[in-house]
Amino acid sequence: MYYPEPISKLIDSFTKLPGIGPKTAVRLAFFVLNMKEDDVLDFSKALVSAKRELTHCTVCGHITDQDPCPICQDELRDNSIICVVQDPKDVIAMEKMKEFNGRYHVLHGAISPMDGVGPEDINVPALLNRLKDEEVEELILATNPNIEGEATAMYISRLVKPSGIRITRIAHGLPMGGDLEYADEVTLSKALEGRREL
Amino acid sequence: MYIQGLSLTNYRNYQDLSVTFDDKVNVIIGENAQGKTNLMEAIYVLAFSKSYRTPRDKELIQWNQNYAKIEGKVYKRKQSFPLEIQFSSKGKKAKVNHLEQRRLSDYIGALNVVMFAPEDLNLVKGSPQIRRRFIDMEIGQIQPVYIYHLGQFQKILKQRNHLLKDLQRRKTNDRTMLEVLTEQLIEHASFIVEKRFLFLDLLRKWAKPIHKGISQDKENLEISYLSTVDVSEVEDREKIKAKYTTSFFSMLEKEVDRGTTLIGPHRDDLVFYVNDKDVQTFGSQGQQRTTALSLKLAEIDLIKSEVGEYPILLLDDVLSELDHYRQSHLLHTIQGKVQTFVSTTSVSDIQHDTINQAELFHVKDGEIVM
Repeated sequence: MYYPEPISKLIDSFTKLPGIGPKTAVRLAFFVLNMKEDDVLDFSKALVSAKRELTHCTVCGHITDQDPCPICQDELRDNSIICVVQDPKDVIAMEKMKEFNGRYHVLHGAISPMDGVGPEDINVPALLNRLKDEEVEELILATNPNIEGEATAMYISRLVKPSGIRITRIAHGLPMGGDLEYADEVTLSKALEGRREL
Repeated sequence: MYIQGLSLTNYRNYQDLSVTFDDKVNVIIGENAQGKTNLMEAIYVLAFSKSYRTPRDKELIQWNQNYAKIEGKVYKRKQSFPLEIQFSSKGKKAKVNHLEQRRLSDYIGALNVVMFAPEDLNLVKGSPQIRRRFIDMEIGQIQPVYIYHLGQFQKILKQRNHLLKDLQRRKTNDRTMLEVLTEQLIEHASFIVEKRFLFLDLLRKWAKPIHKGISQDKENLEISYLSTVDVSEVEDREKIKAKYTTSFFSMLEKEVDRGTTLIGPHRDDLVFYVNDKDVQTFGSQGQQRTTALSLKLAEIDLIKSEVGEYPILLLDDVLSELDHYRQSHLLHTIQGKVQTFVSTTSVSDIQHDTINQAELFHVKDGEIVM
Protein backbone atom coordinates (compact mmCIF):
# COMPACT_ATOMS: atom_id res chain seq x y z
CA MET A 1 0.00 0.00 0.00
CA TYR A 2 1.22 3.49 -0.79
CA TYR A 3 0.81 6.20 1.79
CA PRO A 4 2.31 9.66 1.25
CA GLU A 5 5.48 9.89 3.29
CA PRO A 6 4.21 12.19 6.08
CA ILE A 7 1.37 9.88 6.93
CA SER A 8 3.41 6.72 6.75
CA LYS A 9 5.88 8.32 9.18
CA LEU A 10 2.97 9.13 11.47
CA ILE A 11 1.69 5.55 11.27
CA ASP A 12 5.15 4.30 12.06
CA SER A 13 5.29 6.60 15.12
CA PHE A 14 1.99 5.34 16.43
CA THR A 15 3.06 1.70 16.17
CA LYS A 16 5.85 2.50 18.64
CA LEU A 17 3.24 2.96 21.38
CA PRO A 18 2.29 -0.05 23.51
CA GLY A 19 -0.95 -1.78 22.59
CA ILE A 20 -1.09 -0.18 19.15
CA GLY A 21 -0.91 -2.57 16.21
CA PRO A 22 -0.58 -1.66 12.52
CA LYS A 23 -4.33 -1.34 11.94
CA THR A 24 -5.00 0.90 14.93
CA ALA A 25 -1.98 2.99 13.94
CA VAL A 26 -3.49 3.63 10.49
CA ARG A 27 -6.83 4.59 12.06
CA LEU A 28 -5.19 6.99 14.51
CA ALA A 29 -3.04 8.55 11.80
CA PHE A 30 -6.05 9.26 9.59
CA PHE A 31 -7.91 10.63 12.59
CA VAL A 32 -5.09 13.10 13.17
CA LEU A 33 -5.46 14.35 9.58
CA ASN A 34 -9.01 15.40 10.35
CA MET A 35 -8.22 17.07 13.65
CA LYS A 36 -8.11 20.87 14.03
CA GLU A 37 -4.64 22.24 13.52
CA ASP A 38 -4.58 23.81 17.00
CA ASP A 39 -5.40 20.50 18.61
CA VAL A 40 -2.67 18.76 16.67
CA LEU A 41 -0.21 21.45 17.69
CA ASP A 42 -1.19 21.14 21.35
CA PHE A 43 -0.91 17.37 21.11
CA SER A 44 2.58 17.49 19.69
CA LYS A 45 3.66 20.10 22.25
CA ALA A 46 2.29 17.97 25.05
CA LEU A 47 4.31 15.02 23.80
CA VAL A 48 7.52 17.00 23.63
CA SER A 49 7.09 18.75 26.96
CA ALA A 50 6.19 15.53 28.75
CA LYS A 51 9.50 14.20 27.57
CA ARG A 52 11.59 17.35 28.07
CA GLU A 53 10.21 18.88 31.22
CA LEU A 54 9.75 15.76 33.24
CA THR A 55 12.74 14.46 35.12
CA HIS A 56 13.25 12.02 37.92
CA CYS A 57 13.26 13.51 41.40
CA THR A 58 16.82 13.38 42.72
CA VAL A 59 15.54 12.34 46.14
CA CYS A 60 12.94 9.66 45.51
CA GLY A 61 13.15 8.96 41.77
CA HIS A 62 9.50 9.78 41.07
CA ILE A 63 8.68 11.58 37.82
CA THR A 64 8.38 15.32 38.33
CA ASP A 65 8.62 18.70 36.65
CA GLN A 66 10.34 20.26 39.65
CA ASP A 67 13.22 18.92 41.65
CA PRO A 68 12.74 17.75 44.39
CA CYS A 69 9.24 16.55 43.60
CA PRO A 70 6.17 17.97 45.38
CA ILE A 71 5.90 14.87 47.56
CA CYS A 72 9.50 15.18 48.75
CA GLN A 73 9.00 18.93 49.35
CA ASP A 74 5.80 18.49 51.32
CA GLU A 75 6.74 19.29 54.93
CA LEU A 76 3.57 17.81 56.36
CA ARG A 77 4.57 14.33 55.34
CA ASP A 78 6.08 11.83 57.70
CA ASN A 79 9.83 11.55 57.20
CA SER A 80 10.23 8.45 59.27
CA ILE A 81 8.55 6.10 56.83
CA ILE A 82 9.50 5.32 53.23
CA CYS A 83 7.48 3.20 50.85
CA VAL A 84 9.59 1.51 48.16
CA VAL A 85 7.83 0.88 44.83
CA GLN A 86 8.94 -0.36 41.42
CA ASP A 87 7.29 2.20 39.20
CA PRO A 88 6.13 5.85 39.19
CA LYS A 89 2.65 4.52 38.41
CA ASP A 90 2.73 2.73 41.75
CA VAL A 91 3.28 6.05 43.56
CA ILE A 92 0.21 7.45 41.84
CA ALA A 93 -1.81 4.38 42.83
CA MET A 94 -0.69 4.80 46.44
CA GLU A 95 -1.47 8.52 46.40
CA LYS A 96 -4.97 7.91 45.11
CA MET A 97 -5.56 5.88 48.23
CA LYS A 98 -4.90 9.04 50.33
CA GLU A 99 -3.99 6.98 53.37
CA PHE A 100 -0.26 6.90 53.20
CA ASN A 101 1.44 10.00 54.49
CA GLY A 102 5.08 8.97 54.35
CA ARG A 103 7.71 9.37 51.66
CA TYR A 104 8.33 7.25 48.57
CA HIS A 105 11.25 5.72 46.80
CA VAL A 106 10.86 4.62 43.18
CA LEU A 107 13.21 1.87 42.00
CA HIS A 108 12.35 1.98 38.28
CA GLY A 109 12.40 -1.77 37.88
CA ALA A 110 13.29 -4.93 39.75
CA ILE A 111 16.48 -6.93 39.99
CA SER A 112 16.64 -9.57 37.26
CA PRO A 113 20.01 -11.14 36.45
CA MET A 114 18.41 -12.79 33.41
CA ASP A 115 17.77 -9.39 31.84
CA GLY A 116 21.09 -8.02 33.04
CA VAL A 117 19.48 -5.83 35.70
CA GLY A 118 21.50 -5.73 38.91
CA PRO A 119 20.87 -3.71 42.11
CA GLU A 120 23.02 -0.84 40.89
CA ASP A 121 20.96 -0.61 37.67
CA ILE A 122 17.83 0.27 39.60
CA ASN A 123 17.50 3.03 42.17
CA VAL A 124 18.86 0.98 45.10
CA PRO A 125 22.13 2.86 45.83
CA ALA A 126 20.18 6.13 46.19
CA LEU A 127 17.84 4.43 48.65
CA LEU A 128 20.75 3.25 50.80
CA ASN A 129 22.17 6.78 50.85
CA ARG A 130 18.82 8.16 51.86
CA LEU A 131 18.60 5.71 54.73
CA LYS A 132 22.01 6.86 55.95
CA ASP A 133 21.17 10.57 55.82
CA GLU A 134 17.52 10.68 56.84
CA GLU A 135 15.97 9.57 60.10
CA VAL A 136 13.94 6.67 58.79
CA GLU A 137 12.20 4.29 61.16
CA GLU A 138 10.29 2.08 58.76
CA LEU A 139 10.79 0.89 55.22
CA ILE A 140 7.72 -0.53 53.47
CA LEU A 141 8.64 -2.79 50.57
CA ALA A 142 5.81 -2.55 48.06
CA THR A 143 7.43 -4.18 45.04
CA ASN A 144 5.24 -6.41 42.86
CA PRO A 145 4.34 -9.85 44.20
CA ASN A 146 6.14 -11.78 41.46
CA ILE A 147 9.53 -13.50 41.47
CA GLU A 148 11.58 -10.42 40.56
CA GLY A 149 9.66 -8.07 42.87
CA GLU A 150 9.93 -10.57 45.69
CA ALA A 151 13.66 -11.06 45.12
CA THR A 152 14.19 -7.29 45.07
CA ALA A 153 12.32 -6.91 48.35
CA MET A 154 14.34 -9.70 49.96
CA TYR A 155 17.55 -8.16 48.64
CA ILE A 156 16.82 -4.71 50.04
CA SER A 157 15.73 -6.17 53.36
CA ARG A 158 19.03 -8.03 53.69
CA LEU A 159 21.03 -4.88 53.04
CA VAL A 160 19.01 -2.72 55.40
CA LYS A 161 18.24 -5.13 58.24
CA PRO A 162 21.63 -4.65 60.03
CA SER A 163 20.89 -0.92 60.44
CA GLY A 164 17.95 -1.74 62.71
CA ILE A 165 15.34 0.01 60.59
CA ARG A 166 11.96 -1.72 60.74
CA ILE A 167 11.28 -3.44 57.43
CA THR A 168 7.80 -4.47 56.33
CA ARG A 169 6.40 -6.09 53.21
CA ILE A 170 2.92 -5.25 51.95
CA ALA A 171 0.43 -8.09 52.41
CA HIS A 172 -0.58 -10.44 49.60
CA GLY A 173 -4.01 -11.87 49.42
CA LEU A 174 -7.58 -11.47 48.39
CA PRO A 175 -8.80 -8.37 46.57
CA MET A 176 -11.41 -6.39 48.48
CA GLY A 177 -14.96 -6.71 47.24
CA GLY A 178 -14.09 -10.01 45.58
CA ASP A 179 -15.41 -13.46 46.22
CA LEU A 180 -13.37 -16.13 47.91
CA GLU A 181 -14.46 -18.74 45.41
CA TYR A 182 -12.98 -16.82 42.48
CA ALA A 183 -9.51 -16.57 43.97
CA ASP A 184 -6.88 -18.87 42.50
CA GLU A 185 -5.19 -21.43 44.75
CA VAL A 186 -1.90 -19.60 44.97
CA THR A 187 -3.45 -16.29 46.08
CA LEU A 188 -5.68 -18.16 48.46
CA SER A 189 -2.79 -20.04 50.05
CA LYS A 190 -0.88 -16.73 50.42
CA ALA A 191 -3.93 -15.17 52.01
CA LEU A 192 -4.19 -18.08 54.42
CA GLU A 193 -0.50 -17.78 55.30
CA GLY A 194 -0.97 -14.10 56.10
CA ARG A 195 -4.13 -14.49 58.17
CA ARG A 196 -4.59 -12.29 61.24
CA GLU A 197 -6.00 -12.67 64.72
CA LEU A 198 -9.33 -10.90 65.11
CA MET B 1 -14.55 -39.99 33.16
CA TYR B 2 -14.65 -40.28 29.41
CA ILE B 3 -14.65 -38.21 26.25
CA GLN B 4 -18.02 -38.22 24.52
CA GLY B 5 -16.88 -36.41 21.44
CA LEU B 6 -14.04 -34.51 19.86
CA SER B 7 -13.85 -31.77 17.24
CA LEU B 8 -10.65 -30.68 15.57
CA THR B 9 -10.17 -27.60 13.43
CA ASN B 10 -6.95 -27.00 11.50
CA TYR B 11 -5.19 -29.40 13.80
CA ARG B 12 -2.13 -30.99 12.16
CA ASN B 13 -3.56 -32.96 9.21
CA TYR B 14 -7.18 -32.62 10.36
CA GLN B 15 -8.96 -29.74 8.67
CA ASP B 16 -12.34 -30.25 10.22
CA LEU B 17 -13.24 -33.34 12.17
CA SER B 18 -16.11 -34.10 14.45
CA VAL B 19 -16.43 -37.51 16.01
CA THR B 20 -18.25 -39.21 18.87
CA PHE B 21 -16.64 -41.98 20.89
CA ASP B 22 -17.65 -45.10 22.71
CA ASP B 23 -17.21 -44.91 26.48
CA LYS B 24 -15.23 -48.15 26.51
CA VAL B 25 -12.72 -49.10 23.84
CA ASN B 26 -12.12 -47.13 20.65
CA VAL B 27 -9.74 -48.53 18.08
CA ILE B 28 -8.22 -46.18 15.55
CA ILE B 29 -7.04 -48.01 12.47
CA GLY B 30 -5.10 -46.61 9.57
CA GLU B 31 -2.03 -46.90 7.41
CA ASN B 32 1.10 -45.05 8.38
CA ALA B 33 1.06 -41.24 8.09
CA GLN B 34 -2.73 -40.94 7.95
CA GLY B 35 -3.24 -39.24 11.31
CA LYS B 36 -3.66 -41.93 13.96
CA THR B 37 -1.09 -40.48 16.28
CA ASN B 38 -2.30 -36.95 15.58
CA LEU B 39 -5.72 -37.94 16.86
CA MET B 40 -4.23 -39.49 20.00
CA GLU B 41 -2.04 -36.44 20.44
CA ALA B 42 -5.09 -34.17 20.19
CA ILE B 43 -6.67 -35.90 23.18
CA TYR B 44 -3.40 -35.59 25.06
CA VAL B 45 -3.14 -31.88 24.23
CA LEU B 46 -6.74 -31.37 25.35
CA ALA B 47 -5.69 -32.72 28.76
CA PHE B 48 -2.26 -31.16 29.21
CA SER B 49 -2.46 -28.09 26.94
CA LYS B 50 0.77 -29.12 25.28
CA SER B 51 2.06 -31.94 23.17
CA TYR B 52 4.46 -34.67 24.20
CA ARG B 53 5.87 -34.71 20.67
CA THR B 54 7.00 -31.13 20.37
CA PRO B 55 7.68 -28.17 22.64
CA ARG B 56 6.51 -25.79 19.89
CA ASP B 57 2.76 -25.24 19.87
CA LYS B 58 3.02 -23.79 16.37
CA GLU B 59 3.57 -27.24 14.93
CA LEU B 60 0.07 -28.22 15.99
CA ILE B 61 -1.45 -25.70 13.59
CA GLN B 62 -2.15 -26.96 10.10
CA TRP B 63 0.14 -25.66 7.41
CA ASN B 64 -1.03 -22.29 6.02
CA GLN B 65 -3.64 -21.78 8.75
CA ASN B 66 -3.40 -19.24 11.54
CA TYR B 67 -5.05 -21.15 14.33
CA ALA B 68 -5.88 -24.64 15.51
CA LYS B 69 -8.67 -25.68 17.83
CA ILE B 70 -9.45 -28.81 19.80
CA GLU B 71 -12.83 -29.16 21.45
CA GLY B 72 -13.86 -32.09 23.55
CA LYS B 73 -16.98 -33.04 25.41
CA VAL B 74 -15.97 -34.61 28.68
CA TYR B 75 -18.17 -36.62 31.00
CA LYS B 76 -16.90 -36.42 34.57
CA ARG B 77 -18.56 -36.61 37.98
CA LYS B 78 -21.92 -37.40 36.43
CA GLN B 79 -22.02 -34.36 34.22
CA SER B 80 -20.75 -33.44 30.82
CA PHE B 81 -18.93 -30.24 30.00
CA PRO B 82 -16.94 -28.90 27.05
CA LEU B 83 -13.19 -28.35 27.09
CA GLU B 84 -11.59 -26.20 24.47
CA ILE B 85 -8.07 -25.27 23.60
CA GLN B 86 -7.03 -22.97 20.83
CA PHE B 87 -3.57 -22.23 19.47
CA SER B 88 -2.66 -19.21 17.39
CA SER B 89 0.33 -16.98 16.82
CA LYS B 90 -0.78 -15.01 19.88
CA GLY B 91 -0.51 -18.03 22.14
CA LYS B 92 -3.03 -20.43 23.54
CA LYS B 93 -6.45 -20.03 25.04
CA ALA B 94 -7.93 -22.73 27.23
CA LYS B 95 -11.55 -22.93 28.24
CA VAL B 96 -13.33 -25.15 30.72
CA ASN B 97 -17.10 -25.16 30.39
CA HIS B 98 -16.94 -22.09 28.09
CA LEU B 99 -14.93 -20.08 30.63
CA GLU B 100 -11.43 -19.05 29.74
CA GLN B 101 -8.78 -20.11 32.25
CA ARG B 102 -6.05 -17.57 32.78
CA ARG B 103 -3.64 -19.94 34.46
CA LEU B 104 -2.80 -23.26 32.89
CA SER B 105 -2.80 -24.77 36.36
CA ASP B 106 -6.52 -24.00 36.46
CA TYR B 107 -7.01 -25.87 33.20
CA ILE B 108 -4.84 -28.94 33.58
CA GLY B 109 -6.55 -31.57 35.65
CA ALA B 110 -10.01 -31.04 34.15
CA LEU B 111 -9.35 -34.06 31.96
CA ASN B 112 -7.06 -36.84 33.17
CA VAL B 113 -5.18 -38.83 30.60
CA VAL B 114 -2.65 -41.62 30.81
CA MET B 115 -0.71 -42.14 27.62
CA PHE B 116 1.34 -45.10 26.62
CA ALA B 117 3.30 -44.52 23.42
CA PRO B 118 6.39 -46.19 21.97
CA GLU B 119 8.45 -43.32 23.45
CA ASP B 120 7.38 -44.41 26.90
CA LEU B 121 9.42 -47.54 26.58
CA ASN B 122 12.31 -45.12 27.03
CA LEU B 123 10.99 -44.18 30.44
CA VAL B 124 13.32 -46.68 32.07
CA LYS B 125 16.35 -46.64 29.84
CA GLY B 126 16.22 -43.07 28.57
CA SER B 127 17.70 -39.92 30.08
CA PRO B 128 16.75 -38.66 33.57
CA GLN B 129 14.90 -35.79 31.90
CA ILE B 130 12.28 -38.23 30.61
CA ARG B 131 11.67 -39.58 34.11
CA ARG B 132 11.47 -36.11 35.62
CA ARG B 133 8.98 -35.11 32.96
CA PHE B 134 6.93 -38.21 33.69
CA ILE B 135 6.75 -37.54 37.41
CA ASP B 136 6.09 -33.81 36.96
CA MET B 137 3.27 -34.32 34.46
CA GLU B 138 1.60 -36.95 36.58
CA ILE B 139 1.71 -34.92 39.78
CA GLY B 140 0.57 -31.90 37.82
CA GLN B 141 -2.62 -33.53 36.63
CA ILE B 142 -3.52 -34.65 40.13
CA GLN B 143 -2.38 -31.48 41.89
CA PRO B 144 -2.40 -28.45 39.62
CA VAL B 145 -0.67 -26.22 42.24
CA TYR B 146 2.43 -28.32 41.59
CA ILE B 147 2.62 -26.85 38.09
CA TYR B 148 2.67 -23.36 39.54
CA HIS B 149 5.58 -24.18 41.85
CA LEU B 150 7.42 -25.93 39.05
CA GLY B 151 7.03 -22.85 36.84
CA GLN B 152 8.24 -20.51 39.58
CA PHE B 153 11.14 -22.83 40.32
CA GLN B 154 12.22 -22.81 36.69
CA LYS B 155 12.06 -19.01 36.51
CA ILE B 156 14.14 -18.57 39.64
CA LEU B 157 16.57 -21.21 38.42
CA LYS B 158 17.06 -19.25 35.22
CA GLN B 159 17.69 -16.04 37.21
CA ARG B 160 20.07 -17.82 39.53
CA ASN B 161 22.03 -19.44 36.71
CA HIS B 162 22.45 -16.06 35.04
CA LEU B 163 23.72 -14.58 38.27
CA LEU B 164 26.10 -17.50 38.82
CA LYS B 165 27.45 -17.02 35.32
CA ASP B 166 27.99 -13.31 36.03
CA LEU B 167 29.75 -14.16 39.27
CA GLN B 168 31.91 -16.73 37.51
CA ARG B 169 32.97 -14.17 34.91
CA ARG B 170 33.45 -11.61 37.67
CA LYS B 171 30.95 -9.28 36.08
CA THR B 172 29.47 -8.78 39.50
CA ASN B 173 30.37 -9.62 43.05
CA ASP B 174 26.95 -9.53 44.61
CA ARG B 175 26.67 -12.44 47.01
CA THR B 176 23.61 -11.00 48.74
CA MET B 177 21.55 -11.42 45.57
CA LEU B 178 22.80 -14.99 45.26
CA GLU B 179 21.62 -15.68 48.80
CA VAL B 180 18.23 -14.17 48.03
CA LEU B 181 17.76 -16.27 44.90
CA THR B 182 18.97 -19.37 46.71
CA GLU B 183 16.41 -18.82 49.44
CA GLN B 184 13.65 -18.35 46.85
CA LEU B 185 14.78 -21.44 44.98
CA ILE B 186 14.75 -23.58 48.14
CA GLU B 187 11.23 -22.43 48.95
CA HIS B 188 9.88 -23.95 45.72
CA ALA B 189 12.37 -26.83 45.56
CA SER B 190 11.24 -28.14 48.92
CA PHE B 191 7.62 -28.02 47.83
CA ILE B 192 8.43 -29.92 44.63
CA VAL B 193 10.51 -32.55 46.38
CA GLU B 194 7.92 -33.13 49.09
CA LYS B 195 5.17 -33.64 46.51
CA ARG B 196 7.39 -35.98 44.52
CA PHE B 197 7.98 -38.08 47.62
CA LEU B 198 4.26 -38.33 48.32
CA PHE B 199 3.58 -39.24 44.71
CA LEU B 200 6.28 -41.91 44.67
CA ASP B 201 4.73 -43.50 47.70
CA LEU B 202 1.45 -43.85 45.83
CA LEU B 203 3.13 -44.97 42.63
CA ARG B 204 4.96 -47.71 44.50
CA LYS B 205 1.80 -48.86 46.18
CA TRP B 206 0.03 -49.36 42.85
CA ALA B 207 2.92 -50.38 40.60
CA LYS B 208 4.34 -53.19 42.72
CA PRO B 209 1.35 -55.57 42.56
CA ILE B 210 0.84 -54.81 38.87
CA HIS B 211 4.45 -55.61 38.09
CA LYS B 212 4.18 -58.83 40.05
CA GLY B 213 1.12 -59.75 38.02
CA ILE B 214 2.67 -59.03 34.63
CA SER B 215 5.85 -60.90 35.49
CA GLN B 216 3.84 -63.85 36.77
CA ASP B 217 5.12 -63.39 40.31
CA LYS B 218 8.73 -63.59 39.23
CA GLU B 219 9.72 -59.97 39.63
CA ASN B 220 9.68 -57.52 42.48
CA LEU B 221 9.69 -53.83 41.52
CA GLU B 222 11.21 -51.13 43.70
CA ILE B 223 11.40 -47.43 42.94
CA SER B 224 13.74 -45.00 44.61
CA TYR B 225 14.34 -41.29 44.33
CA LEU B 226 17.88 -40.28 43.53
CA SER B 227 18.38 -36.83 44.94
CA THR B 228 21.27 -34.41 44.54
CA VAL B 229 20.68 -33.49 48.16
CA ASP B 230 20.79 -35.96 51.00
CA VAL B 231 17.09 -35.99 51.86
CA SER B 232 15.06 -39.01 52.75
CA GLU B 233 11.49 -39.69 51.75
CA VAL B 234 10.09 -39.72 55.25
CA GLU B 235 11.00 -36.11 55.85
CA ASP B 236 8.47 -33.30 55.80
CA ARG B 237 8.78 -29.99 54.05
CA GLU B 238 10.54 -28.16 56.90
CA LYS B 239 13.20 -30.87 57.17
CA ILE B 240 13.68 -30.95 53.39
CA LYS B 241 14.06 -27.18 53.43
CA ALA B 242 16.66 -27.31 56.18
CA LYS B 243 18.69 -29.94 54.33
CA TYR B 244 18.50 -28.02 51.08
CA THR B 245 19.66 -24.89 52.87
CA THR B 246 22.70 -26.65 54.33
CA SER B 247 23.56 -28.28 51.01
CA PHE B 248 23.16 -25.12 48.98
CA PHE B 249 25.29 -23.02 51.27
CA SER B 250 28.08 -25.57 51.29
CA MET B 251 27.93 -25.69 47.49
CA LEU B 252 27.93 -21.95 46.76
CA GLU B 253 31.65 -21.65 45.94
CA LYS B 254 31.56 -24.66 43.67
CA GLU B 255 28.49 -23.30 41.92
CA VAL B 256 30.12 -19.91 41.36
CA ASP B 257 33.14 -21.74 40.03
CA ARG B 258 31.05 -23.71 37.56
CA GLY B 259 28.68 -20.86 36.84
CA THR B 260 25.51 -22.91 37.22
CA THR B 261 23.16 -24.45 39.79
CA LEU B 262 24.44 -27.91 40.60
CA ILE B 263 21.84 -29.32 42.95
CA GLY B 264 18.06 -29.33 43.08
CA PRO B 265 14.98 -31.18 41.84
CA HIS B 266 15.92 -30.33 38.25
CA ARG B 267 18.85 -32.74 38.58
CA ASP B 268 17.14 -35.51 40.50
CA ASP B 269 16.23 -38.88 39.02
CA LEU B 270 14.21 -42.02 39.61
CA VAL B 271 15.81 -45.44 39.81
CA PHE B 272 13.88 -48.64 39.22
CA TYR B 273 14.99 -51.95 40.64
CA VAL B 274 13.75 -55.38 39.64
CA ASN B 275 14.74 -58.08 42.12
CA ASP B 276 17.25 -55.63 43.61
CA LYS B 277 18.96 -54.98 40.29
CA ASP B 278 18.96 -51.56 38.63
CA VAL B 279 16.74 -52.07 35.58
CA GLN B 280 18.25 -49.21 33.62
CA THR B 281 21.72 -50.73 33.68
CA PHE B 282 21.20 -54.42 34.25
CA GLY B 283 17.65 -55.11 33.12
CA SER B 284 16.81 -56.88 29.90
CA GLN B 285 14.82 -55.09 27.20
CA GLY B 286 11.80 -57.10 28.32
CA GLN B 287 12.19 -56.07 31.95
CA GLN B 288 12.52 -52.44 30.95
CA ARG B 289 9.28 -52.72 28.99
CA THR B 290 7.45 -54.46 31.80
CA THR B 291 8.59 -51.76 34.22
CA ALA B 292 7.38 -48.98 31.93
CA LEU B 293 4.08 -50.79 31.48
CA SER B 294 3.64 -51.35 35.22
CA LEU B 295 4.22 -47.66 35.90
CA LYS B 296 1.69 -46.59 33.30
CA LEU B 297 -0.91 -49.06 34.49
CA ALA B 298 -0.28 -48.00 38.08
CA GLU B 299 -1.16 -44.47 37.11
CA ILE B 300 -4.63 -45.54 36.10
CA ASP B 301 -5.40 -46.77 39.60
CA LEU B 302 -3.47 -43.95 41.19
CA ILE B 303 -5.54 -41.33 39.42
CA LYS B 304 -8.70 -43.22 40.29
CA SER B 305 -7.74 -43.16 43.97
CA GLU B 306 -6.69 -39.50 43.99
CA VAL B 307 -9.19 -37.94 41.61
CA GLY B 308 -12.07 -40.31 42.18
CA GLU B 309 -12.49 -41.33 38.55
CA TYR B 310 -10.58 -43.41 36.07
CA PRO B 311 -8.49 -41.44 33.57
CA ILE B 312 -8.64 -41.93 29.84
CA LEU B 313 -6.04 -44.31 28.49
CA LEU B 314 -4.28 -43.68 25.19
CA LEU B 315 -2.37 -46.59 23.69
CA ASP B 316 -0.54 -45.25 20.70
CA ASP B 317 0.89 -48.04 18.59
CA VAL B 318 2.14 -49.96 21.59
CA LEU B 319 -0.10 -53.00 21.69
CA SER B 320 1.76 -54.57 18.82
CA GLU B 321 5.01 -53.94 20.70
CA LEU B 322 3.93 -56.06 23.61
CA ASP B 323 3.86 -59.83 23.65
CA HIS B 324 0.60 -61.68 23.92
CA TYR B 325 0.75 -62.18 27.66
CA ARG B 326 1.44 -58.51 28.39
CA GLN B 327 -1.22 -57.47 25.90
CA SER B 328 -3.90 -59.47 27.62
CA HIS B 329 -2.74 -58.33 31.04
CA LEU B 330 -3.08 -54.74 29.92
CA LEU B 331 -6.45 -55.22 28.27
CA HIS B 332 -7.65 -57.18 31.26
CA THR B 333 -6.74 -54.32 33.63
CA ILE B 334 -8.77 -51.78 31.71
CA GLN B 335 -11.66 -54.00 30.84
CA GLY B 336 -14.97 -52.28 31.08
CA LYS B 337 -13.88 -49.45 33.36
CA VAL B 338 -11.43 -47.23 31.52
CA GLN B 339 -12.21 -45.45 28.29
CA THR B 340 -9.37 -46.49 26.04
CA PHE B 341 -8.09 -45.34 22.67
CA VAL B 342 -5.95 -47.79 20.79
CA SER B 343 -4.19 -46.91 17.58
CA THR B 344 -2.89 -49.62 15.30
CA THR B 345 -2.22 -50.37 11.68
CA SER B 346 -4.20 -53.57 11.82
CA VAL B 347 -6.60 -55.20 14.29
CA SER B 348 -5.32 -58.65 13.55
CA ASP B 349 -2.21 -57.88 15.65
CA ILE B 350 -4.40 -57.75 18.69
CA GLN B 351 -6.10 -60.85 19.94
CA HIS B 352 -8.39 -60.18 22.81
CA ASP B 353 -12.12 -60.09 23.41
CA THR B 354 -11.94 -56.45 24.43
CA ILE B 355 -10.94 -55.47 20.93
CA ASN B 356 -13.76 -57.45 19.37
CA GLN B 357 -16.30 -55.41 21.27
CA ALA B 358 -14.60 -52.13 20.46
CA GLU B 359 -15.79 -49.39 18.20
CA LEU B 360 -13.57 -49.05 15.13
CA PHE B 361 -12.53 -45.82 13.43
CA HIS B 362 -10.71 -45.93 10.12
CA VAL B 363 -8.45 -42.94 9.60
CA LYS B 364 -7.44 -41.92 6.11
CA ASP B 365 -5.63 -38.72 5.23
CA GLY B 366 -6.99 -36.62 8.08
CA GLU B 367 -10.53 -37.91 7.91
CA ILE B 368 -12.49 -40.68 9.51
CA VAL B 369 -14.00 -42.98 6.92
CA MET B 370 -16.70 -45.42 7.84
